Amino acid sequence: MNKKIKTSAALVAAFALAFGAFATTSASAATTVKIAYQGPLTGPEAQTGTDSLRGVKLAIKLYNAKNPAVKVEVFEGDDQGDDAQGGTVGAGIANDDAVVGVLTAYSGPTIAALPSYKAKGIAIVSPSATRASLTDPTSTSYGAPVFHRIVSNDDLQGPALARVATNGVKDPTVFVVDDQSSYSVGLTKAVKAALGTAFQAGDSAAKGAVSDFSATIAKIKKEKANVVIYTGYYADGAKFLKQLRDKGYKGVYAGGDGVLNSEFPKLAGKKQSEGARLTAPTVPLDVASPKVYAAFKKEFKAEPGVYSTEAFDATNIFLQAIKAGKTTRADILAYLNSSSFSYKNTAGITIKFQPSGDLSGSGLMNQFVVKAGTIKLNGKA
Amino acid sequence: MDFSVLTDQFASLTFDGIALGFIYVLIALGYTMVYGVLRLINFANSEVFMLGSFATILVSTKIFNYTIESDPITGFKLVYTLLAMLLGSMIVSGLVSVLIEIVAYRRLRSRTSNRLTSLISAIGVSIVLTEGVRIATSSAPMGSPRLLDKITLVTIWGADIRLDTLLVIVFAIILLITLDLFVNKSRLGKGIRAVSMDYDTSRLMGINLNKVISTTFLIGGLGTGAAAFFYITVYEMTRFSIGFELGLAAFTAAVLGGIGNIRGAFAGGIALGLIEMYASAVLGTQWRSITAFVILILVLLFKPNGIFGESLQQARV
Repeated sequence: MNKKIKTSAALVAAFALAFGAFATTSASAATTVKIAYQGPLTGPEAQTGTDSLRGVKLAIKLYNAKNPAVKVEVFEGDDQGDDAQGGTVGAGIANDDAVVGVLTAYSGPTIAALPSYKAKGIAIVSPSATRASLTDPTSTSYGAPVFHRIVSNDDLQGPALARVATNGVKDPTVFVVDDQSSYSVGLTKAVKAALGTAFQAGDSAAKGAVSDFSATIAKIKKEKANVVIYTGYYADGAKFLKQLRDKGYKGVYAGGDGVLNSEFPKLAGKKQSEGARLTAPTVPLDVASPKVYAAFKKEFKAEPGVYSTEAFDATNIFLQAIKAGKTTRADILAYLNSSSFSYKNTAGITIKFQPSGDLSGSGLMNQFVVKAGTIKLNGKA
Repeated sequence: MDFSVLTDQFASLTFDGIALGFIYVLIALGYTMVYGVLRLINFANSEVFMLGSFATILVSTKIFNYTIESDPITGFKLVYTLLAMLLGSMIVSGLVSVLIEIVAYRRLRSRTSNRLTSLISAIGVSIVLTEGVRIATSSAPMGSPRLLDKITLVTIWGADIRLDTLLVIVFAIILLITLDLFVNKSRLGKGIRAVSMDYDTSRLMGINLNKVISTTFLIGGLGTGAAAFFYITVYEMTRFSIGFELGLAAFTAAVLGGIGNIRGAFAGGIALGLIEMYASAVLGTQWRSITAFVILILVLLFKPNGIFGESLQQARV
C-alpha cells in the first residue's frame, strides 16, 4: 500500500469514527439525561456526601423503573466539601452536555462553582447549602437565577442554634468558635446577632489546621462560659469537643448542621459527646416517610444520614420537570423559575420557590441531641 | 487583643505550650539530624510522621483489636500495649525514613553533585505518600481508641498536669539526652559529626559515608515515629494531611532554634509551642501561624543561623 492510499484510508476511517460517534450521541441525547451531584464523596465530609448521594440514586432508580421514555443517570462530582475544589468540579459538571440539573451540597464549593453554572444556565437545587448570602441579592455570591434550595438558610438556623444552645441555661454566657470556612463565618454572624448580650467572646480555628485547642479552651475557662457553640464541621468539632470535655468543661456544647454527622459522636467519644445539641434544617428520612425509608434501607443496606431526605426531594424536583417534558437545561431552569411551579415533598409539604431561590413561607428547622453515641431527633428548633 | 486571658490562664497555657512544644521537638529532630549531615531539608520527614501516626492507631486496632469505643485500660496490659504501639510507630517511621534515603537521596548523591535535585525528589516522595494515604483512607480522619485515660495528676496554679502530656515531656527529655550523648560520645556519633563537617575529608579518613547517612535517617525516623506515637496518645486523631500541619511547625521550630543542631531543635520546639499558645490566647487562634512566622523572620534577621546556630557551630550534629 502506498503512502497516499494509507493516508486517505486513515482519513475515511477517522471520518467514519467521528460521524459514528456524533450519530450515537445525538441519538442518545434525546433519551438519556444526567443529574449531577456536587458534594463531598471522599474526604472528612464524605459521610454526609455519601448519605445524600444515596438519596439521589434512590430517587433516580424509582423514576427509571417507571419511566422508560427518558432515562436519567447520575453524575458524581466530588468536591470534598472543599471551597478550593468547588470551582474545578463545577466546571467539569457544566462541560458535560448531558447534565441538565445539579444538586450542590456545601455552601462554599457551591459559591466557587456558581460562575460555571450561571454561564451555562444550569439549574441548581441544593439539598443542604444553607449559607444566607446565596439567596441575598446584595451579595456577590447571589445565586439567582440558577440557584434554588429546599432547606432553610442560616439566617433561620442562626437564631435557632442560639435558642437551642441556651435553652434551659440560667444566665447563659456563650462562647462561639468558627472554622473560617464560608459556611461557618456566615452561620457565626447569624448566631451572634441572635445571641445579643448572651454572646461573650469567640475564637476562629482554621478548618483542618489546628490540633491543639488548648488556647481556645483557656479562653472559654477565663470567660466562665457555660455554653459553647461550634459553627464548623464535624471532624474539627469532634476534636474540639473531646479536648474541651477532657479539660473539665461541664457546660453545653452545640453545633449547626455542619456538625450533624453520624461520625461525630464516634470521633468525639461516647462520654464526651453525650448531650451535645445540634440544629439542622433536615428531616430524618424515617420521620419524613416510612415507605421511602424502607426502600432506602432495602436498596443500600444502610441507614440514611443527614440530608438523605433533602437530596431525595431535590432530585425528585428535577425528575418532576423531566416528567413534564423538560429535558434541556433552559427548559428545566425556566420550569423551576416559573411562578406556577410547586412540588410536594416526601413529608407531604408543598414547596414553592421565591425569586431569590429560597423556599416560600417560613422554613423548617429541627433540633437533635446526642444520646449514648447516636444523634437523635429532638423536635422542632 | 486580650491580655487578661494570659494572666488568668498563664500556668495552664504555659504547660500546654510546653507539651505541644515537645511534640514539635521530637519531629524537629528528624529535620535537624538530616540537615546536619546532608545540609538539606528532608521534606519527606512530615510524611514519616504521618505514616507513624497511622501505624500507632493500626497497632492498637488491628493487632490488639481495640475499637474507637473501647474503654481505657490499666496496669501491665496498658504498659505493654502502649510500648507495642510506640515500637510499631518507631519501626514503621524508621524504615520509611531509611527507604526515603535510598530512593530519593542515595542514587542522586552518587550521580550528581547538584543538591537541589534531591530536594525536589524528597518533595516528590512526600507528595506520593500524602496522596497515597489520602486515597487509601478516602481522606477521612482516623480516630484512636483511648487506651491511656486522661488522668489529672496534680493541679498547679490552675494548670492540670495530665499523665499523657507529662509522659510526652519525660520521654522527650530522655530521648534528647540519649541522642546528645550518642552524637557526642559514640564512635558512630563521631562519624556523623565528621561527615557533617566535611564530606570528602571524612571519606578519606575511612568513614563509610552511606552507612553514616543511613544511620542518620534511621535515627531521625525513630524520633519522628516516637513523636507520632505521643501525638496520637494526646490528640487521638490523625488524617492524611497531618504531616503538613505538624511538619511545617516542626521545621519552623528547627530553623528557629538553629537547624542542624539538637539543642537548637529543643529550644526552637519549646519556644514555638509557647509562642503559638500565647498568640492564640491573646490574639485569637487565627493569628497563631502569622505570629509564629513573624517571630521566626525577626529572629532570623538578627541571628540568621537561629537561636543556637552560631555559638554552637562546632557542636552540630
